[in-house]
Amino acid sequence: MKKHLKYFSLFIIAVVFFSCKKKETDYIYDVNDVTVSQSGISKPNVKNTIEFISIAYSDLFGTTIGATELTELSLCYLAFGDKKFIEDLIIRNFLNKTGVIIPTQSTMTADVNAFVQATYRKFYNRDPNEFEKWQIVNYINTTSSITPELVYYSFMTSDEYRYY
Amino acid sequence: MCNYHKNSRREFLKKVSLASAGAFLAPTILPSGRLFAATGVRKANHVVFCLFAGGVRQLESMQQAEGNLMPYMLSGTQSTIPGLSPLPSPTGLPLQTYGTLFKEFRYNQGPTGHVSGHHTAITGAYNANDLNINLPPTSPTVFEYYRKHNTPSMSALNAWWISDSLGPYPALNFSSDSNYGALYGANFIQPRTLISQAGYNSLGTPKVFTSSQKTSVAGIRTILDKNFGKSYSGGDAGIVNLEADRASLETYISSSFNDAVAGMYNDPWGVGAAVFNDDMFNLFIAEKVLQQFKPELLVVNMQGVDVCHFEYTMYCDNLRKADYALAHLWSTIQSTPGLANDTILIAVPEHGRNSTPNTVMDAYGRYAVDHTGEAMSREIFCLVLGPAGVVKTNNIISTVEGESIDVVPTIADILGFYNDIPTNYKNNMGSPLAQAFV
Repeated sequence: MKKHLKYFSLFIIAVVFFSCKKKETDYIYDVNDVTVSQSGISKPNVKNTIEFISIAYSDLFGTTIGATELTELSLCYLAFGDKKFIEDLIIRNFLNKTGVIIPTQSTMTADVNAFVQATYRKFYNRDPNEFEKWQIVNYINTTSSITPELVYYSFMTSDEYRYY
Repeated sequence: MCNYHKNSRREFLKKVSLASAGAFLAPTILPSGRLFAATGVRKANHVVFCLFAGGVRQLESMQQAEGNLMPYMLSGTQSTIPGLSPLPSPTGLPLQTYGTLFKEFRYNQGPTGHVSGHHTAITGAYNANDLNINLPPTSPTVFEYYRKHNTPSMSALNAWWISDSLGPYPALNFSSDSNYGALYGANFIQPRTLISQAGYNSLGTPKVFTSSQKTSVAGIRTILDKNFGKSYSGGDAGIVNLEADRASLETYISSSFNDAVAGMYNDPWGVGAAVFNDDMFNLFIAEKVLQQFKPELLVVNMQGVDVCHFEYTMYCDNLRKADYALAHLWSTIQSTPGLANDTILIAVPEHGRNSTPNTVMDAYGRYAVDHTGEAMSREIFCLVLGPAGVVKTNNIISTVEGESIDVVPTIADILGFYNDIPTNYKNNMGSPLAQAFV
């Protein structure tokens, strides 16, 4: 009887330990790698005068602005009250200088998607979402007079360009 | 009367009543969104407020202790002290003849500092001692009162602040008051920096786009701004001009750049390039702005006399130049169609100077003078010029009357919107200078 009881107990223990073993499953989540960048909505800070001028210069000339030119532009900026007006004047003076780096018309039209993507990264430090990209690409494709220079000018005088 | 005619009569009366009410109400619903037009009657359609600043002491101005250093403004024998620049002598009557001169005006409260004095003059309110010179005034400026309460609302092209220097002064074109602010601010320009060779080098050759290109840019920018959802405007962006006004401003600035680079601004008054100083240049640009835009309200300052901290004789000389410049400004106003006989000019120092000198002696053996809150540094003058029949002419007030905080309400009264300024703001100001007007 004792022997039977012993076998019965061993059987019960075996059932408890081995019958409820959970099967391990290997899940595969199909998520692509993403590049994390700043979204337009989360730019809370306004660039100060020095930041705005020096970033604009670097964006257009691919090099840093000289100290004298930066000082003179900053003083001119302070000397007029309508800041959007003076910023527009600064950008258009930059665009008129030799040495400004702007893609050619053929580069833009050859791959408008890539041009728009690169322009967002250059000026807004982020990628456009699909809707933004579609809007700008569509505008470029349907506007015959548009040039890369005009696109650059639009970005540099937009509200988002004034923030970081 | 049958029912048909009774009903027709009722309908007729009802329609007439509604039409009459509409006819009364419609003209008072204004573009600004306000229901009623300003109640005040204007004394003139333009005001130029010249801050004769930098610290002018009564001893050298009204009391003529060095002889008359302000012969264009005041009666009296011209000063002959050594060290003065040659300037043309006045040929007509002094300006005081054409208006009211408050000889004992006062800057009664607040630090006797330039920025504090400017704040008070432009806001019509005395400052507390903790004024932060790097921030806009906390009280609304005269520009904001004008643009918010004048009827009809006027664009920023009608309000100008023209400063002789940068530093804290660009911040005086609008306040941080939440009921006013940049939306009602004035155009600001500091000509000495902007209208210069350096200004031209920086901003004088902008890319010019065609109207079709501008339309394309506007199309993209609209998409970008809409998606961003946050407008760059208000305090950081400064004041806002209408697109059409911006085009006028660009034309004006471009023309000024060309004239300045061509050397036409080196001595535009023909007094000699060595004599023509920054105060004169500032008033010269004020004249240009007045001629170009005919603004209803323009404030301009001069501060050349502040050299008095170190060079007393140069202070006297700059006082003469400021006097000459003010007369030139008045002459330009009187020869400009649209401004002549419809402009009131008010000239007031922001504060005075001490009665006792400091220890710095100049080449002529004269001691310099500071402004540190002594009683005399609160003594100033006020000259009000305007059309005869509006301003009392040849009217000299020699008793202590009027103070710095009276200028803003006086401007509001001249332009007819004083009664529209809310009482809680009006309580911080002085009162219109009724003594100066017919």
